[in-house]
Amino acid sequence: MPDNTVSIPIRQRPTQFAGQPLADCAPKTINSLYLHIPFCAHKCHYCDFYSLVDRQDRQEAFLNRLIEELRAVAPLAGPLDTVFVGGGTPTLLATHLWGRLGAALHQFFDICDETTEFTVECNPETASESLFHSLRHAGVNRLSVGMQSFNRTHLKTLEREHNPENVPRTFEQARCVGIANISGDLIFAIPGQTLDDWDQDLDQAMSLGLNHLSAYNLTYEPATAMTARLETGQFTPCPEELEIEMFNHAAARLANDNFERYEVSNYAQPGHACRHNLAYWRQHDWLACGPSASGHAAGHRWKNIGRLDTYLNNTQNGFAPITDHEEPDPARAVRESIMTGLRLAEGLDKSLVLLQSENALTGSAARLESEIRQANEEGLLTDTQSRLVLTERGILFADGLAGRLMTCVL
Amino acid sequence: MDRNLIRNFSIIAHIDHGKSTLADRLLQATKAVSDRESKAQLLDSMDLERERGITIKASAVTVMHMHNGQNYMLNFIDTPGHVDFGYEVSRALKACEGALLVVDASQGVEAQTVVNAYLAVEQDLEMIPVLNKIDLPGARPDEIAMEVEQVLGLPAEDCISVSAKTGVGIPELLDAICEILPPPSPPKSDKTRVLIFDAIYDDYRGVMLYCRVFDGRLKVGDKIRMMGMERTFLVTEIGKNTPKPVKVKEVGPGETCYVVAAIKTLGDVRIGDTITLDNNPADELLAGYEPAKQMVFCDFYPATTADKKGGDIEEMREAIEKLAINDASFTYQAVHSEALGFGFRCGFLGLLHMDIIQERLEREFNLELVQTAPTVSYEIVVRGKGGELTEREVHNPADLPDMGSVVEIREPICKVEIMLAKEYIGDVMKLCLDRRGVYKSQVYVSDTREMFNFEIPLAELIYDFYDKLKGLTSGYGTMDYEVVRYQADQLVKVDILINGEPVEALSLITHREKSEARGRVLLQRLRKQIDRHQFEIPLQAAIGGKIIARETIKAYRKDVTAKCYGGDVTRKRKLLEKQKKGKDRMKSIGSVNIPQEAFMSVLDVGEG
Ligand SMILES: Nc1nc2c(ncn2[C@@H]2O[C@H](COP(=O)(O)OP(=O)(O)O)[C@@H](O)[C@H]2O)c(=O)[nH]1
Ligand code: SF4
Repeated sequence: MPDNTVSIPIRQRPTQFAGQPLADCAPKTINSLYLHIPFCAHKCHYCDFYSLVDRQDRQEAFLNRLIEELRAVAPLAGPLDTVFVGGGTPTLLATHLWGRLGAALHQFFDICDETTEFTVECNPETASESLFHSLRHAGVNRLSVGMQSFNRTHLKTLEREHNPENVPRTFEQARCVGIANISGDLIFAIPGQTLDDWDQDLDQAMSLGLNHLSAYNLTYEPATAMTARLETGQFTPCPEELEIEMFNHAAARLANDNFERYEVSNYAQPGHACRHNLAYWRQHDWLACGPSASGHAAGHRWKNIGRLDTYLNNTQNGFAPITDHEEPDPARAVRESIMTGLRLAEGLDKSLVLLQSENALTGSAARLESEIRQANEEGLLTDTQSRLVLTERGILFADGLAGRLMTCVL
Repeated sequence: MDRNLIRNFSIIAHIDHGKSTLADRLLQATKAVSDRESKAQLLDSMDLERERGITIKASAVTVMHMHNGQNYMLNFIDTPGHVDFGYEVSRALKACEGALLVVDASQGVEAQTVVNAYLAVEQDLEMIPVLNKIDLPGARPDEIAMEVEQVLGLPAEDCISVSAKTGVGIPELLDAICEILPPPSPPKSDKTRVLIFDAIYDDYRGVMLYCRVFDGRLKVGDKIRMMGMERTFLVTEIGKNTPKPVKVKEVGPGETCYVVAAIKTLGDVRIGDTITLDNNPADELLAGYEPAKQMVFCDFYPATTADKKGGDIEEMREAIEKLAINDASFTYQAVHSEALGFGFRCGFLGLLHMDIIQERLEREFNLELVQTAPTVSYEIVVRGKGGELTEREVHNPADLPDMGSVVEIREPICKVEIMLAKEYIGDVMKLCLDRRGVYKSQVYVSDTREMFNFEIPLAELIYDFYDKLKGLTSGYGTMDYEVVRYQADQLVKVDILINGEPVEALSLITHREKSEARGRVLLQRLRKQIDRHQFEIPLQAAIGGKIIARETIKAYRKDVTAKCYGGDVTRKRKLLEKQKKGKDRMKSIGSVNIPQEAFMSVLDVGEG
């Protein structure tokens, strides 16, 4: 994959910076932090995250800029409940740079090993003992390992370059340095994958002693190589029926190991749900640093511009240049809670949603109630115990249903 | 003015063969126009015309020219260049005694030249064949002169070679105009008869009539009567474009002029009508008057925009009404479609006319339009309850009565001229036959080119026939057509059913033999446009209850995004909200949501 900066020919000087939405935030109020490390060794074909094929030459400049940004946003952060370093491939960042990053984080933020969930995404190929040492030293206590599949053929189909045999070693190394809390990512519905293959992937993952697993149905995102290959007929996509079987099989198989599906694609043993992601889904506030990272605070949403160059060369008192800034809008906020909340096993607090909705848009609560009733009759939604929770069938139609409910507040 | 020194003539040419340039050059040669003014081509007035290289509205220019010591009055009468305006062309030609038939000496005779030349022949005009662009290195005047002789029967040696660009041959052409073209014939009576051969709307003066006097005289202050429309007006101004407008007090036999008579809209006048004096009326109209006949119909709907649900129908009404003031030849009528909401069904003289109106609505009135595919006007014969037969016109398949009562459906048949290089003959013949064409004749044009004459139903022509022709002939084939009659055929109404419910807006009239193929193409397009639902959706095409084609939209079983993280919230939310916005624009039929685009893609159906 070519460096994806080339496709943007015109560089305009950014005019908006993260300081603007953050000006509405009270100091020391935000408890989650996301960092985006935009480097990868190779671009996986299904991936639409912002990442550049690593050019070692820019890591240092990136880190300097990231630290500058961290310093700028830090006053808004209270004690951090969660830190999540994603990408890209954060484990591609050089060991000594991880050292500096860890130091900076601890200098600017209130991070505590007992109370802060500090996750780093990890590509098994880039793991090494020394790296894990510096991760741990930086305060990392949770790892999210991109396993995707244990089947070489399927990894090849995804153009995911890692050796599945290295995965167990990664786990060992992590545990060695004291990172015991490990999650894994798997992808299913890969073209050519059978239900059996999928079952084996799940078995292998479980054999590693995870306490959290994300199982994603392969998604053909726009402008990815995978989608281009699909559209040019280079493979036959997995049939929808099989996708559903795999989806259901995951829940059943993982239940054996005491995993609960707490979100459409996320499973965890009790007490191990990813708190950082729950913060997103429960519409909490979080700070976001690094190119393409999205933030949410005081009703604002924004996104750092997803271009390393722009990120490196533009600053406003340390704040990053942003795009897609959305001003606070109570009705939008309700729609967002519906959208993400419905996907959770805990569902939505019905009376709260109705109340917020009515406050945001007069008349919307009645519409919502009637739509809820209808969804309930259709067997998509249960509304017992004052919470709205998708049924097994409802999960399969979560988007359409979310759309229907959101419409009531539009 | 001595009638014998008047020359009324038109210039007939295929698009781009140089009609405007030549007119301009002739005016310049008579010193009517300075060199600087000649920059702008004077006969065409609308930008749109210039851009598209066509003349929409005729007008007339009068200039004086010295020839052999005598001062001739030359009246250039401009004609619309396309036979969509066939009637208008014929009226403009009726005002003339002669015509210059201009052919590009590097291109040769084209279909449009031929069709217009026929119209000129019908009017008994004297024709001077002119080979233009002889300055071009690729000019082949001798060969093209032979084409003119072959196809139009005008002797090759009569051709005058000119270059409208360099001016070569222009003096000779002016001589020929004075010497070869006949003067107007003497008046038949002294009761005034004046032909209206064009009318335009001027923002300041209202309607301006372009007229040619046949009998009697016309003066400022006369109370005139339109014999066809049966209306009276008072003449407030008479003048001539020289090309600057110059007022005159009166005009006599053989002359052309413009007339202003406090006429508010073009709807009040009809081209081809005869003006006479209210206090001394002529007995009969000049021959050839016909009411306007719309052959092609389509619906316009205001496009739905994000903030304007259902579009702005009032804005559209205003625009259409304004446009009708300066184009009396299109009709409009409010309609409501179950699919597209409120709109207007408009009738046009032909396809080009439709394109022009659509473009003007979009460009001059800034409207965003949804335009349905054109249909033709059918004549149907219906049997009443008592067995009596009645005839009526139908412009839309949805307007057909119960097919049980329909005895016959007649459709407009066109005479089509196609001019093309010989190597394409096979393919084009096949295309014509595919489109239910009936071969009529073939004319040798030159060693490399051939002209065909086919009769093809208009309904087949309006489905991308021209595009197909261009495609088959590498862009070089030209065609023109003229509606010649209505004819009954095995025409059937195909109903489209979505989830078992008939959707009137999608029904079509087609030939029985083509009904299955047409129905299938339509269903396939529809299938692509309608999202899957939670249930299976059958799409069917049927003739009178009998299913002739079927497609199925499978039920979807899953509708859930795999990933939704912090950075995805905005994007995903917009996606879901867009679906909902989309739904606003959807029509729900048989509990199936059908997007406006689906109707469009289907109504826009070509042969596929
Ligand atoms: N070389 C050359 N070009 C010409 C001549 N007459 C017209 N043209 C060009 O041919 C094109 C079409 O001419 P125009 O008068 O607009 O054609 P119309 O569509 O018949 O009115 C223009 O680009 C003219 O400049 C000519 O005698 N010689
Ligand atoms: S490693 Fe992750 S971020 Fe990088 S290309 Fe692969 S999927 Fe995308």
